Amino acid sequence: MSHHIFILSPTDTPLYSLTHYSSKPAQSAGSALSSNLPSWSTSAFAGTLTALSGASSATQHHTSAGGGVRMGGGQDRHVIQMIANASLDAIEEVMRRENVMYLKSVDKFNEWIVSAFVTAGNMKFIILHETKNDDGIKVFFNDLWELYVKTAMNPFHTAHTPIRSTVFDSRVRASAKKNL
Amino acid sequence: MDHFPFASLAQIQILLVPVGSITKSLFDKRAAEIRSFDNIPSGDITVGDKDQRARFLPTTNTLATGYLHLSFPSHPPPESRLPLSLFRPSAFPLGIIGIASCSPETFEHIPAYFDDAVRDVISSEYALPISRVCFAFEEASDGAALNTTLSGVEVIPEMDTKQTKLHLGTLLASLCSRILVDLSDFVCHIRAHNSNSLTARPQVQNLESPIGNEYLNSGLFATLLPSQLPSALDLEQRSESPLSTHSQPELSTISNLRKSSTFKRTSSVGPALPSLRQSTLSAAASGKKRTSGIGAASSHGRLFKVLGDAFLLAGRTEDAVVWYTEALAMFKSLPDPLWHASVLEGLATVPILEAWASAAGLNGSVDTVKDPWIDPTDKIAQAASMYSRIIPGNDQDQQYPLLSYLYITCIFRHTSLLYSVWSAKGWGPVAFTTLLNPGPAPYVPPTLAHPDQLSFVNLERLSITSGIRRSHISEVLSQAHGPWLLHLGSRERIAILQFITAIYGYIGYRRKEAYVIRETIGCIMDLVVCGREHYDDYRLSSAKPVAIGQDAPTPTAGTLGIRESEPTEGNEGIVKLVKHICRIHGVDLGAVNVVEAGPEAILSRKSWTRDERRDTEAPPVPEDDIPKEPIGWPELQIGIVREAIAVAEALPDYAAVAQFCFSALKNLHPVMTPTDQNQLYAGATRALATAKRRGDSRAIEYWTGTPIVTIELTPLPFVRFPVEKSLGLLQDNDENTGKRQAVTTDPFLYNPRRSLHTKGSLLVVQNEDLEFQITLRNPFVFDLELSSISLSTSGVTFESKPISVLVPANSFHHVLITGRALEVGNLVVRGCLVQAPNGLSREFGLPLSTEEEEDKLMKRKTGIACEYGRTKYSGLAAHPWERPTEKRTSLVGPTSKKPAKPIRYMDFKVVPELPLLRIRRTSLTHSAVMLYNGERSTIRITLENVSSLSIDYLNLTFEDSTMSPAQQALLEGELSVFDAYETEYDLIHRQVLTWDSGNSKVEVPPGKVMTVTVSCFGKAGCTNGSIHISYACSRHALEADPPVDNFYARQLTYPVLVTVYHMLECYDMDILAYSGLNDRFGVGYHDPSMGESEDQSWCLFSIEVRNTYGLPFEVTFERIDEGEGWTASLGPDNVVASACRTVPPGSTCRIILPLPKLLLTEEQTSRPMPSLSGRQFVVNKSKLSSEDIKLQRELFWYREELFKAVRGRWKEAGGSRSGDLSLRQQRLTKPMLHALRMDPVYVQMELLQQADDEDGVSQKVVNRRGGKYRAPPNEFLFLRMRIRNVSPACLIFTASMFFEPEKYVIHQGVLQGIPFGEVESGETKEMEMAICFVSCGRFELRGQVEILDAARGEPAGSGHITVLVEDGQYLTVPDSITGAHVDE
Repeated sequence: MSHHIFILSPTDTPLYSLTHYSSKPAQSAGSALSSNLPSWSTSAFAGTLTALSGASSATQHHTSAGGGVRMGGGQDRHVIQMIANASLDAIEEVMRRENVMYLKSVDKFNEWIVSAFVTAGNMKFIILHETKNDDGIKVFFNDLWELYVKTAMNPFHTAHTPIRSTVFDSRVRASAKKNL
Repeated sequence: MDHFPFASLAQIQILLVPVGSITKSLFDKRAAEIRSFDNIPSGDITVGDKDQRARFLPTTNTLATGYLHLSFPSHPPPESRLPLSLFRPSAFPLGIIGIASCSPETFEHIPAYFDDAVRDVISSEYALPISRVCFAFEEASDGAALNTTLSGVEVIPEMDTKQTKLHLGTLLASLCSRILVDLSDFVCHIRAHNSNSLTARPQVQNLESPIGNEYLNSGLFATLLPSQLPSALDLEQRSESPLSTHSQPELSTISNLRKSSTFKRTSSVGPALPSLRQSTLSAAASGKKRTSGIGAASSHGRLFKVLGDAFLLAGRTEDAVVWYTEALAMFKSLPDPLWHASVLEGLATVPILEAWASAAGLNGSVDTVKDPWIDPTDKIAQAASMYSRIIPGNDQDQQYPLLSYLYITCIFRHTSLLYSVWSAKGWGPVAFTTLLNPGPAPYVPPTLAHPDQLSFVNLERLSITSGIRRSHISEVLSQAHGPWLLHLGSRERIAILQFITAIYGYIGYRRKEAYVIRETIGCIMDLVVCGREHYDDYRLSSAKPVAIGQDAPTPTAGTLGIRESEPTEGNEGIVKLVKHICRIHGVDLGAVNVVEAGPEAILSRKSWTRDERRDTEAPPVPEDDIPKEPIGWPELQIGIVREAIAVAEALPDYAAVAQFCFSALKNLHPVMTPTDQNQLYAGATRALATAKRRGDSRAIEYWTGTPIVTIELTPLPFVRFPVEKSLGLLQDNDENTGKRQAVTTDPFLYNPRRSLHTKGSLLVVQNEDLEFQITLRNPFVFDLELSSISLSTSGVTFESKPISVLVPANSFHHVLITGRALEVGNLVVRGCLVQAPNGLSREFGLPLSTEEEEDKLMKRKTGIACEYGRTKYSGLAAHPWERPTEKRTSLVGPTSKKPAKPIRYMDFKVVPELPLLRIRRTSLTHSAVMLYNGERSTIRITLENVSSLSIDYLNLTFEDSTMSPAQQALLEGELSVFDAYETEYDLIHRQVLTWDSGNSKVEVPPGKVMTVTVSCFGKAGCTNGSIHISYACSRHALEADPPVDNFYARQLTYPVLVTVYHMLECYDMDILAYSGLNDRFGVGYHDPSMGESEDQSWCLFSIEVRNTYGLPFEVTFERIDEGEGWTASLGPDNVVASACRTVPPGSTCRIILPLPKLLLTEEQTSRPMPSLSGRQFVVNKSKLSSEDIKLQRELFWYREELFKAVRGRWKEAGGSRSGDLSLRQQRLTKPMLHALRMDPVYVQMELLQQADDEDGVSQKVVNRRGGKYRAPPNEFLFLRMRIRNVSPACLIFTASMFFEPEKYVIHQGVLQGIPFGEVESGETKEMEMAICFVSCGRFELRGQVEILDAARGEPAGSGHITVLVEDGQYLTVPDSITGAHVDE
């Protein structure tokens, strides 16, 4: 089971991203309808469609037993990013209406559930996950927030500076391992 | 295209087909007329015979409230959906209306045409009954010939709109009536349409019969495909069972059912049925009973559901609810999730229909129940979850698409319910109307029709008033999106994605919208590509000529290559969609414009109007200098751009490919990898070339940002540089001009205009090559090719050739553009015209920025940098095109109110053609001169005119290393008056380089040479000098009309290295009185040059000369005849006396020269020290008393006079070199002045004694020896004083006598104030006095002459004699003794 974590600047630019593979087993495929899909390889554009609709991950799921490493690079990563980006629509709406920082399960697309955390500076932390884990994600977000604030206190850090600190990265990974 | 209206379950579909040769516009018009009937009240339906066939016809009960809802698709559903016929009859057309336009000629053929049309659209496997009618619209009103009636054709005569409408309504109502009858037939009997199966035994079957029920329960969808049916069901052979006149499943029906299923069932369940009519509550119980009664046979749940569907279509909602409830009850005990879900959907539709009917009927009464949509949505959600969980049976490949379709339509039903309520601001008539009859533009409700409705505020307002959140809609809608989309056919998929897109778009979820549009485009492009491949295959197989530009195999021999014009309709729409996606992701793919332009337009764009406007506009901040906030998700941006390019390539639209590539490069190159950039650039170049080859008339505007960094004129070499000169120089022959120039050209110490004068536009010369260096920048990782770059100029004609450049990757690059101005006047270089290969050229202006602008720019930059990271607009609003256009308030300030200043560009003044001169040779080797201090030599310079113009003006000016320090010292003004004079004298009279400018009017014709001779003077301290030769062809300027003030000249400079050996030093100059010298040495020193004049008028000039050099020098000091100036000709004739010595190296010699005393008049000496350079009068800062000033001036003027009279020269001993020795360093002191200055009166004293001659008494001079008179004592002698007035004026003198010792002298008359009276100038007067020395000894007699009324103290002149009084007999006795003796 994998989690995809993004930190987005107010202008939707990713400052940090992390793909976390959890040791927990993945859920079985959500819908009966998504099984038995035809394999599409007729043209380049069918590939796009396959990936965007989530079919590629569904078929992949069948091929890889036990739901180990499902996310490859390339196209799938692109789709994950597309979903994270598209979920901003929902996040923007909800965050303006609700007065909390942690927006749990704010959006759902294909098989992904999107949870988000919006800081006061309009930085958005986004997690794409497959199973509900509200408490764990909440703890993780709080850790991430603290780490981010520590990074942002660097006087040379602006709202648009990508976070490349290895310390930040390792701590985020540690927290993800613990909580997700 | 499918529209997925919410109430599709309750809508009877009637297909509209064109019949015969009706035009599209006419068909559309008529179809629109028909489509305006989206519902028909049940009351309008003709109730026919009361048999079983009329079971769905409206009863009298429902007369008032029922409505039939119609929809008019123009296409039949795909064949793949046919298995759903029984499951969802509402998804299939139940009627067909043919629309024909009838004229007398074609009228008879209409039925035939109609049959053809119906056969075209309805497949033979179509399971449901179809009622058909053809509407023949009359074209003209002369319908006389159309009276004949044809079966199945309704003629609609030409009438006014209202009547037509009425007529159409009636016709539609009758059609609906027939449809209902057919439906009722269908439910009762199933007829196989398959003619093949007719060979089998004809068997009457009824859905309500047990066998029919088995069919219903066979498989997942109750497939009625005829091939699967074992027997044909003939409609003609109907059951003889009593026909039901009631809508309810009455006894008769059940009995019929029971009767026909006797072979399966024996027990009757009849008694339970009547209760159905009273209450649905009993349905469960009865259902149970019935189920138990049926036993192993299939339940009737599906049958009841079909009946419910039919009643729903017939607008009899109450009945539908009853049957649906019945079905639900059955499904509870025997789960059949698929049909169960469909029942739930049907049930959810009912309240909406009722609400619509009541609202429509009661004119807008709104239900007051809170959130009445909760119940239907719950039902639909339940249905959706059931659909999604159904596991298909063994025939998966066919069932998956259908299941997916059902699931998605269910989700859509849910979505559109929420969306309609949300967009209609709540539960009300507007929402109902939207739900039932979405209209032609199905997704745009009136509340969202305004263009600004998509703002967050407006969307939120809808959410708040309706109570439905957008995120809820999105959540529901996103359930429809999933891998199952791939089960569907392309057409369905596109329709579904379109629906999703539309909803996301309208609820303002633009990123999700973009996501789904990407899928839609993927779908469409898939079809495009597949379709093309298909077409290619087809064409190749039919051995047609091969198309060029496609990946086709080599053409067969003998065929011609033919380029087929590819269909381009629709491309624009796809390109627009692609751009929309990119825009939402923050990439403006239209950043580079595509312009419709031919080759002539490229040329004509050279001067465009935008530039005229730009002249007064402030230059924009260069984009590259501003730190840009990153916007959007770079990886995604690059991904979608790549896809966009792939789409455009596949279309193919090469201009769009190039546009996308360039726009992406322009906007995204900071985040792109080098590989991407290279690929995009290569792709764009290729696409442009292809587009050009294919004759695409569109062209791409210039796309990289601003490639020009700077333009600068390569400075002209100094020899070519024109210098502006005043025309006055040509007429002015005053030689002072040159002298003045040597010191300084400006009479003012501080001239505020001087700095202004140097500014102004640069001078360039007509018809001569100018080189401009242009700095280009390439921020990309590939080599940027510019097909042409040229200067954009205005003003005089400028001839230059555009060049093509390859700017290396990621660097600055310099190019040189050469050109020449062809006319005289002003040339303005505005910037550059740049053109990329196959693109349009574009002008980039490069204005000169003033300091103020620089300042403003700096301020803006810092302001923007300061705001960097403080985000005001986030998300999509951060895109530059979304932001409000207002400027940043803090930076506008009051300056923006100022009228815009005109922009200044680099400008040049083009001056007329100038000749060119060069130095051909000189007499110097290595241009070096070595001189002794004071030596003179000459330099010869040969000049050659290498131009085609003749030179008529030539002037030489000089400069040396001693000049500038001196000028600097003068400028500072800290020198004393004396020093200033000395410095100026040095500058003017002792220049290192001089030229006898007697012939400045020269004429050097083209190609000829001339020689100038420059004299060079060795001046200690000089290290180098330069000769400036300025020349011009001044004819034009002199003859110019109107007259001009200036002409232009060029200058040649010849530097000279000067080495001056300093070998002789003069010092310790002294002037001694001659007479005193005589006395001191005791011997008469008499110089022959002194002549016979009195020794009082002479003095001695003495100076020491030291030789510090290694060679002996012969030093000569000469006295020059008075009256002739120092500067006059230096011939030996004037030399009156000279003293010559050889000074060996290292030694010092004193040289003495007798010098006549000088006398200057009062007027001469009282003049102030002159200023040689004509500088501005400088206030004397020293506070000297007037006497001091007088003395100073006297010293000055006498010194000048002295230097005029004495000249020092040196000569190399044994060599030929000679030169002058300067005395200028020597100073005149006050004692020297006294010695030098001659008294105004010349006094001579003599001692005479009387001598007896033969002639009588005469006087003779007393014996004089050794400068002393020897006189006898006690004898009468005469002291004669002779004075001569040597001053030029007539003076009155008095004299005084002083004797020492006085008491031994007896004299006659007074001693003081002896008058001489007036003495004319040059007149001599004598005075005699008798004296007698009464003692022996030495007597000093002094006479002193004073000028009457002159200042006391200073005698004008004096005389002096010494007398030794001795007698032969007497010894010289001491004065005291002799004196006493005399007295005795």
